[in-house]
Amino acid sequence: MLLKFITTFLLMGFTLSVFAITPQDLLKSYEAQSSKASPSRGEQFFNAKHGKEWSCSSCHENPPNHDTKHIVTGKVIKPLAPSANSARFTDEAKVDKWFKRNCNDVLDRDCTAQEKAEVLSWLMTVK
Amino acid sequence: MANDCEMSSMKIKKTILIFAALLLTSSGAYAAKMVMPTDAPASYEAECASCHMAYPPALLSEQSWKNVMSGLSKHFGTDASVDAKTQIEITNWLVKNATTRQKYIETAPENRITKTSWFIRKHDEVKPNVWKRASIKSPANCGACHIDATKGIFSESKIKIPVK
Repeated sequence: MLLKFITTFLLMGFTLSVFAITPQDLLKSYEAQSSKASPSRGEQFFNAKHGKEWSCSSCHENPPNHDTKHIVTGKVIKPLAPSANSARFTDEAKVDKWFKRNCNDVLDRDCTAQEKAEVLSWLMTVK
Repeated sequence: MANDCEMSSMKIKKTILIFAALLLTSSGAYAAKMVMPTDAPASYEAECASCHMAYPPALLSEQSWKNVMSGLSKHFGTDASVDAKTQIEITNWLVKNATTRQKYIETAPENRITKTSWFIRKHDEVKPNVWKRASIKSPANCGACHIDATKGIFSESKIKIPVK
């Protein structure tokens, strides 16, 4: 019985570790699809409007190291920078989903791997 | 004889008490329909409540929820799209818990809770400048004034309008 428990826990741990990813992993994968990221360009991208009404910072603020509010609804958004919120950029499906939604909101298109790499590389420098 | 009379008056009192108790419980159940059901799928919090309050499903009718959920890629100016499996899961839960009360059952104009006639009527004393206060921002931000909104409690006694 005990052995069964231990095996189950080990298997659970294994499964979790398979899905878990780090911001560094993600950055590497975006860079592999484009080129080396520049954090300063990432910050500019984050602050700028891209033809629509909002920038990334409209909801996440700069620096995004604290709770912020959705620009329309006022709903609290947890910090985006990994230094302030260790859950950020650790679930690839979630990252993909939010890049898709938010890039459509801010740019009216998908973000490129280069843009994702740059924003993420800057976010990783935010203290 | 006098004893009989006493008995019947006691019976009447008892009947009144039972009726009162029934009325209370039924009105309680009535109000409870606005309350957040406890069986919300985790996806409701993750997909919907990341941008706005997790609205209790009883705020809209079945048809209104179907309309909202069929247009998530253009959801009040934002892309709120979800994968097909999640879309079905959330829609089924919303529809199951949608309002059945005549008072709230209208199909919401533009799919907005805040455009229903009952919402407008209930808030007709709130001046336009109040909605614009920084801590309120929007009529969609129920919790700014309804302090127990996340629990689905919107009663008059649970309102605190922020001054800024």
